[in-house]
Amino acid sequence: MFLALRELKHAKLRYLLIGVIMVLIVWLVLFVSGLAKGLSSDNASAVQEMKGNYVVLQKEADQRLTRSVISANKTEDIQQLSGKKNAEPLGVMMTAVINEGKQKKIDASFFAISTSGFLAPNVIEGKMITDDAKHEAVADSSLKEEGVKLGDTIKDTASGKSFTIVGFTKNQSFSHAPVIHINLTEWKTIESTGAFNAVVLNMNDKKAHALQKKGSNIDVISKDEALKGIPGYQEEQGSLLMMIAFLFIIGAFVLAVFFYVMTLQKMNQFGVLKAIGAKTSYLARTILSQVVVLTLCSLAISIGLTYGVAAILPDSLPFYLDLSLIAGCSALFVAVSVLSSLLSLYRVAKVDAVEAIGRAV
Amino acid sequence: MSEEKLVLENVSKSFGEGENAVVVLNDLSLRVKAGELVAIVGPSGSGKSTFLSIAGALLSPSSGRVIIDGDEINKMSPGQMNSIRLKKIGFIFQSANLIPYLTVRDQLLLVTELEGNRNKEAKKRADDLLEKLGLAHRKHHYPESLSGGERQRVAIARAWMNNPEIIFADEPTASLDSERGRAVVQMLADEVKLRGKSAVMVTHDQRMLDLCDRVVWMEDGKLVESNSVQV
Repeated sequence: MFLALRELKHAKLRYLLIGVIMVLIVWLVLFVSGLAKGLSSDNASAVQEMKGNYVVLQKEADQRLTRSVISANKTEDIQQLSGKKNAEPLGVMMTAVINEGKQKKIDASFFAISTSGFLAPNVIEGKMITDDAKHEAVADSSLKEEGVKLGDTIKDTASGKSFTIVGFTKNQSFSHAPVIHINLTEWKTIESTGAFNAVVLNMNDKKAHALQKKGSNIDVISKDEALKGIPGYQEEQGSLLMMIAFLFIIGAFVLAVFFYVMTLQKMNQFGVLKAIGAKTSYLARTILSQVVVLTLCSLAISIGLTYGVAAILPDSLPFYLDLSLIAGCSALFVAVSVLSSLLSLYRVAKVDAVEAIGRAV
Repeated sequence: MSEEKLVLENVSKSFGEGENAVVVLNDLSLRVKAGELVAIVGPSGSGKSTFLSIAGALLSPSSGRVIIDGDEINKMSPGQMNSIRLKKIGFIFQSANLIPYLTVRDQLLLVTELEGNRNKEAKKRADDLLEKLGLAHRKHHYPESLSGGERQRVAIARAWMNNPEIIFADEPTASLDSERGRAVVQMLADEVKLRGKSAVMVTHDQRMLDLCDRVVWMEDGKLVESNSVQV
């Protein structure tokens, strides 16, 4: 650290410039990561938050929840095969609703669930509906932003059915629209065939695989796979993930090139240092600590900037950054920067102390 | 403590193999006693740099023995040679070769840092050395703001910092005018006498030779001792 810190101090401008580039890259990484996470939750939090680990879909549905149709009979078959407690039917309908007395249409998704089963969402305000409640529903709290209040009545524009909002849930959205949970009785009134989209399973891997073999014309997939089948989910996440990956690669290259050029510039100096008795390991530690100090400082500033920007972002922008995401990104960045300094370390190892003799530089 | 700080016996060094081999040092012997400042003089290409590299534990000879303060270094591994350089040898390079981002005082402390004992005592030693070489007022300056003579004096102070048994100087006066050059060599000679250590200086600057105890001529990889200091 003796040499590392003194050089950082002396060549402030150089290291400041590379530091600024790093800050910008890390900032963008964190921002895009937050956006990816936010969008993912905006798109699918109702499925992500759902208890249960496997989803049964129709074989022909191409693993897409919205395309799948599982008849009432089939649902009972599956429930019988896997135990009634471990399998819950799920009806999904994407539609638009009108808050009664107003004109504006609001996008929403109906989720039909058994209110006493494991798919029932947590209610944060008001009360939960019961299995035999009529004309009642609980809605995601983001509907409040559209002016929906407890006790309001909303009307489904597709079926014409009306529901009174008796409670609000949190983090329940599907395909970027708030989810309105209704019970299975009401589901039959808006979906005349009584068929569901899926059966959600809460069981271990072995049992799920067994069910796949036993059942006919069904596809048992994990919850993660089901997420990918939500319209636009994979495309959204894929493109953002690619951006993040590229940013990491760019960051690695920028650092690698910078330190490599710095090292080439200092070859003669390293020769002198080795001649007066510096070990390669000492010089390697010097470079590594410079890389790590620079990365950690950039990370700290970037995290600060990201939180700063997050604080002034409008609430409607899906942005979600948690500690584990930041910690993960930071750890990955430190690892990447250490890796990128290997090229420089290789050059330092190759420096011959003899080069210091007979040189007038 | 050995009376003879540096002994080279029948040292040869050649580069390349077989027919392409170039013999740079040819059966060369030299003994340097404590308190002695020896000058090695010769035309360029005579093998002075190679001689210095081998005597200074930077390079291993093809054959022959090199003994520094009683330690035979010709069979040592690079790591062991490294530690000999750190503990027993001081280097003064052509054009000083200071580290640009260290202050004068830190240049000296670096040596103790490499040894792993940068402590209060080292700081005091550095301050004393700088005081002695008339650099106390330059302690917190960077090399870029020093004159050529001052830089070379810092290099001398750095070479003494690890209290070495022998100092190797590679053309220490190359970048200095005659007056400053003499002052630098005089300083080196005085320190060698005072401490009872040795120094070997490679130079082609014949104006400095009268300050040395002994002058050895080098030509085509061989050393020729000359007892008179006449040029």
